[in-house]
Amino acid sequence: MLPPFALEEPTSVHEALALRARYGETACLYAGGTELLLTMKEGLLRYERLINIKLIPELAGMALEDGALHIGAITTHRMLERSPVVQRHFPTVAEMAAHVANVRVREVGTLGGNLCFAEPHADPGTLLLVYDASVALAQQGGTHTLALEQFFVGPFEVALADDEILTAIRVPALPAHTAAVYLKYGLLERPSVGVAVAVTALPDQVQEVRIAVGCVGPTPRRLRDVEGLLSQKELPEVRATLDAAGALAGSAADAVTDLHGSAEYKAYLVGVLLRRAFERAYQQAIRGDVGDTARGRGTA
Amino acid sequence: MTDNRAHHGTATGQVLSIHVTVNGHAHDVLIEPYLTLIELIRDRLGLTGTKKSCDMQVCGACTVLLNGRPVSACTMLAFEARHASLLTIEGLAQGEALHPIQEAFIEHGGLQCGFCTPGMILAAKALLEENPAPTEEEVKHYMRGNLCRCTGYKRILESIMVAARRLAQTHNPGVLET
Amino acid sequence: MEPSASPLHTVGTSPQRLDAREKVTGRATFISDLRVPGMVYTKLWRSPLPHARLRAIDTTAAASAPGVLAVLTAADLADCDRYFGPAYKDQPILAIDRVRYAGEPVVAVVAHSEREAAEAVTLLEVDLEELPAVTTLDEALAPEAPLLHETLRPAGHFRDLANLRPIAGTNICHHFHHARGAIDQGFAEAEVIFEDMFTFPMVHHYSMEPHVAIAQVGNDQITVWASTQHPFPVRKELAEMFGLPLARVQVIVPYLGGAYGNKSYTKIEPLVVALARKVGCPVRLALTVEESFKTVRRAAARVRLKTGVKRDGTIVARQCTAHYQIGAYADVGPRVAQKAGYTAGGPYRIPHLHIDTYAVYSNTVNSVAFRGYGVPQLAWAYESQMDIMAERLGLDPLDMRLKNLLRRGEVFAPGDLPIDADLPGDLRRAAAAIGWGQPLPRGRGRGLACVIKAPLAPSVASALVRMHADGSVTLLAGTVEMGQGARTVLSQIVAEELALPLRWVRLAQPESGTSPYDQATSSSRSTTLVGLALQAAARDLRQQLLELAAEQLQTHIAHLTLRDGGVEGPSGRLSYAEIIAQHFGLPGGELIGRGGYRGERGAPLGGVAPFWEVSLAAAEVEVDEGTGQVQLHRYISIADVGKAIHPQQCEAQEEGGVMMGIGHTLFEEMIYQDGQLLNPGLLDYRIPTITDLPGDLRSILVENADGPGPHGSKGIGESGLMPTAPAIANAIAQAIRVRLTALPLTPERVWQAMRGAQAHRTA
Repeated sequence: MLPPFALEEPTSVHEALALRARYGETACLYAGGTELLLTMKEGLLRYERLINIKLIPELAGMALEDGALHIGAITTHRMLERSPVVQRHFPTVAEMAAHVANVRVREVGTLGGNLCFAEPHADPGTLLLVYDASVALAQQGGTHTLALEQFFVGPFEVALADDEILTAIRVPALPAHTAAVYLKYGLLERPSVGVAVAVTALPDQVQEVRIAVGCVGPTPRRLRDVEGLLSQKELPEVRATLDAAGALAGSAADAVTDLHGSAEYKAYLVGVLLRRAFERAYQQAIRGDVGDTARGRGTA
Repeated sequence: MTDNRAHHGTATGQVLSIHVTVNGHAHDVLIEPYLTLIELIRDRLGLTGTKKSCDMQVCGACTVLLNGRPVSACTMLAFEARHASLLTIEGLAQGEALHPIQEAFIEHGGLQCGFCTPGMILAAKALLEENPAPTEEEVKHYMRGNLCRCTGYKRILESIMVAARRLAQTHNPGVLET
Repeated sequence: MEPSASPLHTVGTSPQRLDAREKVTGRATFISDLRVPGMVYTKLWRSPLPHARLRAIDTTAAASAPGVLAVLTAADLADCDRYFGPAYKDQPILAIDRVRYAGEPVVAVVAHSEREAAEAVTLLEVDLEELPAVTTLDEALAPEAPLLHETLRPAGHFRDLANLRPIAGTNICHHFHHARGAIDQGFAEAEVIFEDMFTFPMVHHYSMEPHVAIAQVGNDQITVWASTQHPFPVRKELAEMFGLPLARVQVIVPYLGGAYGNKSYTKIEPLVVALARKVGCPVRLALTVEESFKTVRRAAARVRLKTGVKRDGTIVARQCTAHYQIGAYADVGPRVAQKAGYTAGGPYRIPHLHIDTYAVYSNTVNSVAFRGYGVPQLAWAYESQMDIMAERLGLDPLDMRLKNLLRRGEVFAPGDLPIDADLPGDLRRAAAAIGWGQPLPRGRGRGLACVIKAPLAPSVASALVRMHADGSVTLLAGTVEMGQGARTVLSQIVAEELALPLRWVRLAQPESGTSPYDQATSSSRSTTLVGLALQAAARDLRQQLLELAAEQLQTHIAHLTLRDGGVEGPSGRLSYAEIIAQHFGLPGGELIGRGGYRGERGAPLGGVAPFWEVSLAAAEVEVDEGTGQVQLHRYISIADVGKAIHPQQCEAQEEGGVMMGIGHTLFEEMIYQDGQLLNPGLLDYRIPTITDLPGDLRSILVENADGPGPHGSKGIGESGLMPTAPAIANAIAQAIRVRLTALPLTPERVWQAMRGAQAHRTA
């Protein structure tokens, strides 16, 4: 049973910001509600007002612009999953979205909501980190951009001020000869370990490796130290370093012990998934398929 | 039996007037903003075919179709159904004529206690509308969020595959079943 | 059992379930859909602490909250017997001076709406003084452990629990001991001795529909609409607690949305009745899923097996010590420990047996009846150990089992029913179906398991068959429809006896006021034993029809048969309607047939098993050695059913049982920490989904017509899940040469075991 609240329905970002300013902590932004309403039902959160942002046109839609995918904050996982543009140009993103929770959550849950709620056991943030994604945060005075990597602060905590709203997520296309792979392991309903890898490679030459780990620690994070071990190397050397890289990634992931498993097992799995994701991404990169290249414009 | 308590003062005083079409019938209802869709369906409209189980969007017993899309009625706010077309299990059969998915579930033993069945059937309907010829893997992926504790799923999978062939048959009578 | 004169027309076929149409259209009424005029609602305040003294309860703020009719504690219910329970009457309706588990109900708020009741609950103030709690077996068994119950009051419900044996000064509320031969001599004769320990976790039934009850009290009468598998035991308990004759207590059971044992015996009914009595209008209590997690579970178990064998694989002696961790109140814990313990030898020939099982209280949620009734926990141990032994002896696990399996007619225990199935034959079928012995790719393995279970015995069932003026019949029997298909199967049995189309037979909803007594819808007994009662009732009716027809047709009864809704012979045919009309002289009246089943009493557990429920399984798995994830490629389940009245429903029950077994084998575990249940919901308690279906899941029915039920049937339904865990663990052992002894076999546990084995090998 939900505790009582009143509903506000702004039709512009400006109006939404004004409502936030007016009601402060007694109000909460509401999009899909898949996390928010659940938490309210459990009695862990209580608000006097929910500010429904799904009637704000600027927050909707997807577009391909300047080699990047611009995703409106209230885009659902299902929209990402089923968009022909995302499937063609960012297939790994579509594939990841297709495996978020279950189909009913995907129909209703939004990418913006997912990122802002910052539940550690989640998929999108981890993958988007290897795309060097960024978020657009609007204030009354204007909009600024923040790297997604800086957006995640802690469990259920993001760098979103009280006078800000996340309006869009920008996902740059991967460079040429690059493929991204997201692998996850789940024991329970939410994912337990998530590893994303983007590999830029020519046959036998690994130019760049981007690695992100999620679900195991307080936030998803890029593992730049590990990336350094594997980038700018010939393939045999990379393969020989993968075990060490996996171990380093495991410890860098800052895994915690919880109902999903022990920190030790999760750290170990990070290494396993890293190795597997790397191999798959490398093969795809040198085949030139799944290149996630985005040319031209188009709405998704 | 419907419950009209919403008219007599809500906890926040706010009442929303919404128009929603349920199983083809138009309804104008006054509801509080925090009323969930399942409360609207079961308590206000008296349609008890939609079931509440886990109450947290995991099990799918409360699946209804909102403009054809499957949603968890337990955790969706009722006002989100405004101006929309809602299909609950009661709206699937045409009088005594069952939908092919319902028939397939009966013939192939896709139900036992029946509590998950309304949600399961509606999810299958949404699946087959989106993907009329799914592989077994595609069915499993789509139906992963509809839980059953009685059947072990084998006959649910079978029922859906059979229903897919039957629906394809009715749309393409000339095509032979494989 | 007479041979059929003509081929069966419905028994042995798989007609549409009689409840199918209602269920696929959403028209079926489940208990949670019921509304009684004037109904009010209750919500409960539950203890946050696992063990505490109740010092004070301040209900003033809650009592004056909007919409609240009453706020009740145990003190307000002192004018009835406040305790219930099938083994011991140890569970209070609401906590009296102490709470014994986190989640125990303490205060009930009754209000006009659920929301108002829930809001008022938050206004209660309860003063608790924390006491030390015991939440693991070791803690509960420790010498200075705090005792959950100082005195125990037996309930007297079960013949086989006439002698409850608690151990004074401990948390052991029942010790079952069973022995045969001389165990020391047995071990002396053995050539190799194996000692192994196995653990089975706490798991939860998760029926899709949680517990619901609605009670109405007035006019010196109680009416309860209850989600219960046991309307008659509930009736008895309520009559005793509230001082009414049985005839004035009515328990009504519509469709249940799943049960698997979690709705056995008395649960929330006494509370709802007590509240209804106080407020004077019907009261509804509907538990949330979280509350159901805090109401029922399966007993966890630690099993120690010491088995002595000859080098050729012959089992000579077995000593079993099993501790069942039950919850704060006994429920059927003692019976589970006892009945399961009785079959701790498994379906094998073991001359020297020494069994001790214990039911141990702990400050956790009650462990109640759950499909398999203690046997899955023991089978996990004995079927895993079988493969451990086979491996060490260099024997094929199939051969070792075949060598020791009891054969048809062999004694299981003196005084009890001899084995009534071809166990070696069944096992060979399972092995053949999985391709036992054929080569497998690397990383894959196969496993077998055979299990035996004793049904509820002795038990009683009675039934009535009412034939109406047009020849259609209404069946009155107390079997509850909870998904197993009882409504259809029982109707088939009668339709067959009376040569009627299935549509002309209707089983009425079970209501204790009109359905004749049936002990329980549990223990895989309904098709067989209630089936016998209904068959007898139908035959009684048949006899009446024949006698009337003989008179009306002026012919000898020996010349008459029932066919197509009528009686016919050389001199003519009369439909049932004609027979009845002629008899009563008007287009009305009815004939009533009655029948019953009464189980044989006897040693060793108080009742002779009417049949043995046996189940066998063969599994093929592949282990991802990187992650420890187990993939089930193939699973064969053998159900020795005697005669499948409705083959599709039999297979479906098996498949469902298998999936439930996969749940407790690979995923499910209730996790307690500091007396708190950490995962009372589906986000953190994983039950199987459709993606967990084995690549090939098959249920094979063995029909040797060797059961006591109608047409030679025997009971199944618990069979599917009993051998699952050991079959899978044995397959894993074959695949990666790693033996796991603690469930569930999560990827992390498999990985840990692989590492341990690796370390062991390199050491």
